[in-house]
Amino acid sequence: NGAAFSKVRGSQLGQESIRWHVVRKFLGLISSHNIPVYLIDPLILGLVDKDIEQIRSSPDGPSPECKYFCTPRDFTTFALLDKTWKHEVGLFRTAEKMGFQWLKIINKDPRLDGMDDLSGMEIPLHYIFKLASHAIHLVVFYERSGNFLWHGPLRLKQHMDRKFVPFRKLHFGRYPGAYEKPELLLVSIDDLKVQIPKNPSSFLEEISHSRFLECRYKEARAFFQLYPDDASLDAVEFRKKAKSLLHLAALTLNNLGVKFWLSSGTCLGWYRQCNVIPHSKDVDLGIFIRDYKADIIPAFQNAGLPLKHKFGKVEDSLELSFQGEDDVKLDIFFFYEEDDYIWNGGTQAKSGKKFKYLFPKFTLCWTEFVELKVHVPCETLQYVEANYGPEWKVPVKTWDWKSSPFNVQDNGVWPIDEWDNVIQIY
Amino acid sequence: MDEWKPNPTVKPHKKRSWYLAWKYKLMNQRALRKLCQTGAVLFLLVTVIVNIKLILDTRRAAYEEEEESAQDYDDEMLNVEAPRHPVNNKKVLDVEVYSSRSKVYVAVDGTTVLEDEAREQGRGIHVIVLNQATGHVMAKRVFDTYSPHEDEAMVLFLNMVARGRILIFTIKDEGSFHLKETAKNVLKSLGSQVAPFLSWRDMWTFVGKKGGEVYGEKHAKSPALSTWGDPVLLKTEVHLTSVEDAECHWPDTELNRRRKRFCSKVEGYGSVCSCKDPTPIEFNPDPLKDNKVFDVPVAVIAGNRPNYLYRMLRSLLSAQGVNPQMITVFIDGYYEEPMDVVELFGLSGIQHTPISIKNARVSQHYKASLTATFNLFPDAKFAVVLEEDLDISVDFFSFLSQSIHLLAEDESLYCISAWNDQGYEHTAEDPSLLYRVETMPGLGWVLRKSLYKDELEPKWPTPEKLWDWDMWMRMPEQRKGRECIIPDISRSYHFGIVGLNMNGYFHEAYFKKHKFNTVPNVQLKNVESLRKDNYETEIHRLLGEAEVLDHSKNPCEDSFVPDTEGRVYVMFIRMEQEADFTTWTQLAKCLHIWDLDVRGNHKGLWRLFRKKNHFLVVGVPASPYSSKKPSSVTPIYMEPPAKEEGAVAVPAVAAAEQT
Repeated sequence: NGAAFSKVRGSQLGQESIRWHVVRKFLGLISSHNIPVYLIDPLILGLVDKDIEQIRSSPDGPSPECKYFCTPRDFTTFALLDKTWKHEVGLFRTAEKMGFQWLKIINKDPRLDGMDDLSGMEIPLHYIFKLASHAIHLVVFYERSGNFLWHGPLRLKQHMDRKFVPFRKLHFGRYPGAYEKPELLLVSIDDLKVQIPKNPSSFLEEISHSRFLECRYKEARAFFQLYPDDASLDAVEFRKKAKSLLHLAALTLNNLGVKFWLSSGTCLGWYRQCNVIPHSKDVDLGIFIRDYKADIIPAFQNAGLPLKHKFGKVEDSLELSFQGEDDVKLDIFFFYEEDDYIWNGGTQAKSGKKFKYLFPKFTLCWTEFVELKVHVPCETLQYVEANYGPEWKVPVKTWDWKSSPFNVQDNGVWPIDEWDNVIQIY
Repeated sequence: MDEWKPNPTVKPHKKRSWYLAWKYKLMNQRALRKLCQTGAVLFLLVTVIVNIKLILDTRRAAYEEEEESAQDYDDEMLNVEAPRHPVNNKKVLDVEVYSSRSKVYVAVDGTTVLEDEAREQGRGIHVIVLNQATGHVMAKRVFDTYSPHEDEAMVLFLNMVARGRILIFTIKDEGSFHLKETAKNVLKSLGSQVAPFLSWRDMWTFVGKKGGEVYGEKHAKSPALSTWGDPVLLKTEVHLTSVEDAECHWPDTELNRRRKRFCSKVEGYGSVCSCKDPTPIEFNPDPLKDNKVFDVPVAVIAGNRPNYLYRMLRSLLSAQGVNPQMITVFIDGYYEEPMDVVELFGLSGIQHTPISIKNARVSQHYKASLTATFNLFPDAKFAVVLEEDLDISVDFFSFLSQSIHLLAEDESLYCISAWNDQGYEHTAEDPSLLYRVETMPGLGWVLRKSLYKDELEPKWPTPEKLWDWDMWMRMPEQRKGRECIIPDISRSYHFGIVGLNMNGYFHEAYFKKHKFNTVPNVQLKNVESLRKDNYETEIHRLLGEAEVLDHSKNPCEDSFVPDTEGRVYVMFIRMEQEADFTTWTQLAKCLHIWDLDVRGNHKGLWRLFRKKNHFLVVGVPASPYSSKKPSSVTPIYMEPPAKEEGAVAVPAVAAAEQT
């Protein structure tokens, strides 16, 4: 039925169906080499999402009209999971025979980036197959530690043809991205059989928050040159506990659907040394107060982390602290957004004094940390500098949370009649 | 025969002008001494002329080179080691070869391709192979033919070089002491007239085409046992052939393109580059049914022993159930040739900038490789760790596929290893039998990710600690009483002779007679009995069934074990406490098994085969199995030999090599 359809479309709509033809040819190419790709084009998935029920219910049905692949665009985007194909050169020979021009964008393998002095082969991050006026952008996804998929940025090297396609318009490649491993669904749209993410709307949502930050491995190495790492048994033990506590916290919060990020010392450890700071003695997370859920406390308790203290209230300066294994504490700070800054609060139990920690506004990015996919503020430097001052690169062993932070402000005292509520210690 | 001693007072030659050689010769002839002065003046004159000509030549050459490079500026990378790219119309290479006691060098068209004046290194015959069409260096080897067996390696190598290649030979220091007839004949067949008569401390250079003409040969006899022959310098020209003639015409496939790239670059890999009937580089062994290790990454740890790596990868890729996509070769250093080998087989390779020295360097390389492996394969729960000097048994993956679930489920396990330290030709018998041992044999083993990530990686010895990684892993702080599963008959074979802690003698004594399984698809017996508690039941069953041997006989004698087959025997030796291995070590020595340290024990019990009977050794009273000893039996005690035998004290490094 595809052929019949193409005849109609081809003769009637000319320009519009070029895209359809190119996509069809491309799908033919990759299926002839048994390469499983899936559609991740945001515009098409947006259209598909509107009709998803119907598309799901008739996976083989012929299409009355060309609804998705005939919108004229410069390119269509597909994804490829690196481990599902063998990098055969044959693919490109066939592509050329079919009339495709192709471009491969390779770069360093980030999975080896954190490693001292390893140089592997560069890995392909993006492919572009161009035929006539339409291009297929094939984004290569890699599995990373932390059970997620990663794609690289698209950066052209010196000798590359900058006009091969309108690169600036590509949806993927401006930044690297992190994604969950998607469940796929084989559907027939516009008489083409393609795989799409099973739940297009959640995938589209993911795209908009997918930006990934690599840890600054080079700077971390320089840091350790200056301040050799603590390799004592205590440090090893603490790191191990902090890692497992962070894994447990991430699991608990992800199950609740509560977005969180690495904050304070844990964030500094990631940013400065790509590791847990061994003398930090706790794990710090940030959560926007708008994401607060009453289930958080019971969820942690069920996970085996009893509440240690609760300061403040949802309306003001909320802060939770849970007791992990052997004195390792999990601190969760809730962040309040104002027009031009973001803040979190602190409370001194014995005096009822309130403190306020101010941060410039920030957005959230993904990163990989101790084998976890977690959020950090994208504007990490500003965040860390706000908290630790311009000297954040120098390790400090004595730290007072009421006076040491660069961004701490006095914030009055809790009224005595509220103490029972806003100062709870277990 | 004199022992070879370097003479530190003799300085290496600084210059390499051809007249030096002549000068040496003249100076040794006293009669000619008076002529020297006149001669010297004459030489000086000649030298001046020659040097002027040389300068002019070099200039012209540099000029040509410039033009050349301007033409192909965007060409593929040039081989750095290669001499100047011959221009199409240039058909002749100038070759200079120098041989002397303390220094050798080879220059091709003015570029030094070999220079070795290091002290106490590089003794023997240096061989260089050039591409007959391009003049590129394809292989560089040195065979220390002063020492035994190195001549055999040289013969093996020379036989593998393709016909038509240009071979250059030069001796440094001494190359004849263990150069046997066979090797001499091979050299003779290459056209050398001198080789059959090469003797103690002769200097020798030779340039010839394999299976073709001789371009030159020079020789200087050593006048006396205590002195060396005079340095010799051979200058000759070699005529290049066309690229067409130097290449094979294999069908144009993806595989053959890889082959071609490889074969035009390196030499010494034999039939893989044969024009007529090249050996395959893709093996497609049978897949394994229900392969539990298909998705387990395989890390191959390599240094700069490309021929070993080649042999190793061939056997690995031929093993049933192998998944080439999971293999990564980690090369310690920026060596080109190992990478060429990796690319020949279409595998991925990673180079590692060396950190630290010697054992610590190896140890850091291991750490980087293991970390990278788990980064590259984040889903993996295990990694298979192999080294470049191992043959891999055809049922290696089948063996792992049948046993890996134990490593996943039994927390008292440390690793699964393919190697049985005590599995020699005369002590291993049953390919379907597995053991639990308290030692960690290495040499082809499986590592659990959680063990690495949670325990080993965070406290891995830092570069300044010059520790062997495997010795470190065997320390009680790391092993924590956990055990490894090993097969009775090893699934790997350690063929490396040259290595950090390895030499020919050591290899022959401890590795050569190791048994290696060649049977495909072995069904392992009673795998569940290897679990912690089950194994105790199994051992008690075995001991219950075992016949107690006659303890009045000498356990070293063959007659100690009756001439039966398929029986189970037990003997009891004295073992005062857990760490008392006095008698065991003596027994191991006389049984000709691993005796450099204690391997293969499980709670004071060793299991092996003698005369095709299962042979159990129990250490009394330290072993919990001592209770099986009949009260009438006195445990055998064997005394260590008296101190005078200094050789018994084996250096610690030797023991370290085991992995």
